Amino acid sequence: MRKAEKMRIVIACIAGALLFTIVSARLVHLHVSKHAEYSRIAAEKNTFRQVIPAKRGLILDRNGDKLAVNLPVHTVFADASHIKDAEALSELIARYLGLKQSEVSQKIGTGGKYLVLKRKVPDETVLKMQAEMSKRNLRGVYTKIDSIRAYPNNSMLGHVLGYLNHERKGVQGIERTMEKHLAGEDGFRYTERDRRGREIVLYRGQEQEAKHGKNIRLTIDMGLQAILEEEIDATYRDLKPHTVNAIMVDPKTGEILAMASRPCFDPNKPGSSDPETMKNRSIIDMVEPGSTFKIVVAAGALNEGKVDEKSSIFCENGRFFYAGRTLKDLHGHGHMNVHDILVKSSNIGCAKMALMMGGEKFHEYVRRFGFGERLGIDLPGEIPGLVHPPSRWDKLTITRMPMGHSVAVTPLQITMGMSVIANGGDLMAPQIVKSVESQDGAVERQQPKVVREVIPEKTAHFISNALSGVTQTGGTATFARVNGFNVAGKTGTAQKVSEKGGYAPGKYVVSFVGYMPAEDPRFVCLVMVDDAQISSGLNYGGLVAAPIFSRIAERSARHLDLVPTQPAIALQPDPITALFDAEEATR
Amino acid sequence: MNPALQPANPQTSNPIQAANLVKFVALAILLGAIGLAYVFVKNQQFVLAEQIRKTERQIRDVQSRNEVLVAKVTELSSRPMLQKRVSEKFIAVVAITGDKIARLTPPATAVADGVMRTAFNSESAQ
Repeated sequence: MRKAEKMRIVIACIAGALLFTIVSARLVHLHVSKHAEYSRIAAEKNTFRQVIPAKRGLILDRNGDKLAVNLPVHTVFADASHIKDAEALSELIARYLGLKQSEVSQKIGTGGKYLVLKRKVPDETVLKMQAEMSKRNLRGVYTKIDSIRAYPNNSMLGHVLGYLNHERKGVQGIERTMEKHLAGEDGFRYTERDRRGREIVLYRGQEQEAKHGKNIRLTIDMGLQAILEEEIDATYRDLKPHTVNAIMVDPKTGEILAMASRPCFDPNKPGSSDPETMKNRSIIDMVEPGSTFKIVVAAGALNEGKVDEKSSIFCENGRFFYAGRTLKDLHGHGHMNVHDILVKSSNIGCAKMALMMGGEKFHEYVRRFGFGERLGIDLPGEIPGLVHPPSRWDKLTITRMPMGHSVAVTPLQITMGMSVIANGGDLMAPQIVKSVESQDGAVERQQPKVVREVIPEKTAHFISNALSGVTQTGGTATFARVNGFNVAGKTGTAQKVSEKGGYAPGKYVVSFVGYMPAEDPRFVCLVMVDDAQISSGLNYGGLVAAPIFSRIAERSARHLDLVPTQPAIALQPDPITALFDAEEATR
Repeated sequence: MNPALQPANPQTSNPIQAANLVKFVALAILLGAIGLAYVFVKNQQFVLAEQIRKTERQIRDVQSRNEVLVAKVTELSSRPMLQKRVSEKFIAVVAITGDKIARLTPPATAVADGVMRTAFNSESAQ
């Protein structure tokens, strides 16, 4: 072989080796050095994070009735890059979704990959639409499953349940306070799509299952809630008050059995509701409680030994001049014991008991009954009310506060305060959530909680006996009686505080808070009517609120199957019902 | 001259070594079979994955339809709806008379007349 030939072979070999070395080097560069970068680009192109939505937990009443459920709906969207026959597709979509065809065509024409056509489309519509698309071989429109919250009882219990915002976060009621339990946690899955956008199951990567929300079982009994709502609805319709509140509580456990306010709203349509109607007035409204507050001073004075069961207090024949002002009773009374002071609802008798106790001690009992503090109910927005310390009182406060003036409390506080008497002296924490139940059946029960012992059982029983007298002949709330049962309670009539200061003439907040059966109370119920459109002569707690209590208690006794313990008596129709019956007859 | 170093006579010797050929053919068949099996298994995986996807979709559809039905049942059996049906006279509520109520614990009667009241529906008894 000649030298030149050998040289050419060597050069060719070197060139070949060099070429392979370059290609190999490039491959090593791509596979090793650039591995992370190209893997990321490939993953971005094909891999996507698929969200596995968690189901929101249900809200149930104490018997398992569903109060808030999830309704599956779809978000319909188009991927314009997959659409071949835009005209036919837009006609079909517009027909099923109730949109204008021009509107759909315009959206598709923008060429986007995620064009939302309509949200909250019902399941059956989507199924029909997809069937026709498949039949006509049209593609490019997809759906994403979503769900909306539905409240089957409409406005009933709306204030307690609350509602969700557009991000499916609770913004009011139980939906808000129990958000962390109800919401659950969305899962996810990394997976890849083929060129048609379908998931390639084989290439599923990291995956985390969704943690579904827990169900919340409330202490509410929908049977009692329906009774309560029907009665306050009738009151709201007939008496046209500014607001009506009613709360029913189990005094032994603090469980809220029913809670309603008027005006109310439908949580299915929060957007179209007036914000004023969305307030749960049982926990966010402050009112002067009126005479229902007299139980505090009576209990305090008895417990502190300032008076006993036989003590006689001179009630000044209805006019008590103190600190330059005259305190009056509706009817003049002479000497009365504590029992009679409560039965006759003497302002002067209560003022004198407070004077015997002194401001500091009386204030201490007001606070021990739970007034001036948040009771800690699992509902948002609860206010503490307003109880000034004795250092900020004027000379008249000590005679006005015992009859429920110069103090502002929530309807819930009044109900829980009366529960102290009903259960033998303990202030219970109001409980609205009975249990939190996981999807796997685990149940976390919420236990009744005693906040504090306010008064001993003996004092509570004495006050309870006096409160039973309130509904008997000669008491202020005879219309609160229920056939077959011993009812205990207290009326309240307070002039409404004017927005301009002072009291608004002719406007009253009337209430009755009572319990039944008095010997072994199954429920405490408050009815509060704010500014009923009725003559001042009839606008008293004993005439307006007590009959409503009576009707609620009578129907509740049937619902709870309570055993009657008292003989039947002929009950007089209350004057307001008689008034409406007479009006009805003349029409 | 060593006979082993003599060039083979094409007419008396076989240049194809059968044993080696068989080995290579067997190896090729084996590799081919492995390749085909890999393709088959991969294909099966895709088919099964597709079935999984379809089944998951069916399950999701059934669950979603079930939820729709549960919501409908809840709505139809809700108190306002039942109340509406009663007022429209689509359904009627028949009061249960006291003598039809079976009690685990007999109710205590009232002291004076021994008549059951509250839970006893006097109107329907007449």
